[in-house]
Amino acid sequence: MTNTISTDLIRGHTDTIILNVLRQGDSYGYEIYKKIGELSGGQYELKEATLYTAFRRLEQDGCLESYWGNETQGGRRKYYRITDAGRALYQQSKKDWSFAKAVLDKLINGGLDDDQE
Amino acid sequence: MTRNDNRRDKRIVDFIDTLFVEVGPSQQLFDLKEELATNMKERILDFQARGIDADAAFKEAVIAMGDLSGLVDDMRRIGQDTAKQSVYSSMSARISTIGLVSGVLLVLFGVLTSAMVYYMNISGVAAAGNGVFVVAGGVLVTYSFLTRETSRKYAMNKVRAALFALAIGLVLFAVFTAIMTHLAVGEMYITIASLMVFLLTGIGLFLFLVLTGTDRRKDTQRR
Repeated sequence: MTNTISTDLIRGHTDTIILNVLRQGDSYGYEIYKKIGELSGGQYELKEATLYTAFRRLEQDGCLESYWGNETQGGRRKYYRITDAGRALYQQSKKDWSFAKAVLDKLINGGLDDDQE
Repeated sequence: MTRNDNRRDKRIVDFIDTLFVEVGPSQQLFDLKEELATNMKERILDFQARGIDADAAFKEAVIAMGDLSGLVDDMRRIGQDTAKQSVYSSMSARISTIGLVSGVLLVLFGVLTSAMVYYMNISGVAAAGNGVFVVAGGVLVTYSFLTRETSRKYAMNKVRAALFALAIGLVLFAVFTAIMTHLAVGEMYITIASLMVFLLTGIGLFLFLVLTGTDRRKDTQRR
């Protein structure tokens, strides 16, 4: 019906999505938000609050590091950088997703009886 | 233009402050607020660049922020430690106040009893003997004064304050013994000899402490 993905579906993957953005270069809150929008082709728009919660969690787990940028017109930007642990988590999550995607596809589309196909 | 900018900045800061009202202060909260404000401002500027007027852009940015209650809870948990800290510091402020009051009273008591005994014409030594209260009072006042947190200065740490009090105590005690010796013996060279021991230690300690001191002034740069 709608042309945006449901929040429920994406919830468990926020961390992986953020890591995917950051493995391609350091970035800060609003820019990460914009890049996620871009990656989805405008079909997913997350709330900023979700981002900050994920930043805190990932930083506590040692997957991200943060540092302050120089003062700009709009104030200081807080940049995030992915750590080795973050890269490892990203690779693992990517594998998990490929596996889950295949299984989910079977679960959602598959028929129990071959005759019904 | 600049006035509009200031108005917008104030609006952002006010909005974020309202979100975290009643959350105890912490470095993490301070940082988070700045991060939120910077990003929110960039978003508003982006909206405005697309031709949305200031008011609507602000409202859009608020909607885009979403539900921050998880973060607020997080910050509240961190801030609770700070709340404990301020309870602690008001507690030590009370102790310091008691110390100051009793110290001053002790000094006055020493001076007054000395004067009293002196005018009773018993003996000079007996009168000066009460000076020991001045010494004790001086030590107590010094310690209490230094461990007091004011709006502009942090309290000195207890060990350091105690050493300062000891230095002051030694100097006062040196003067006290000198007077006592002088009144009892009447020989100036003995007086100076007895003055020297404690005075030198006291001054030495005092100078050492002053020269190794750290700045206790509170950072006024921060908001």
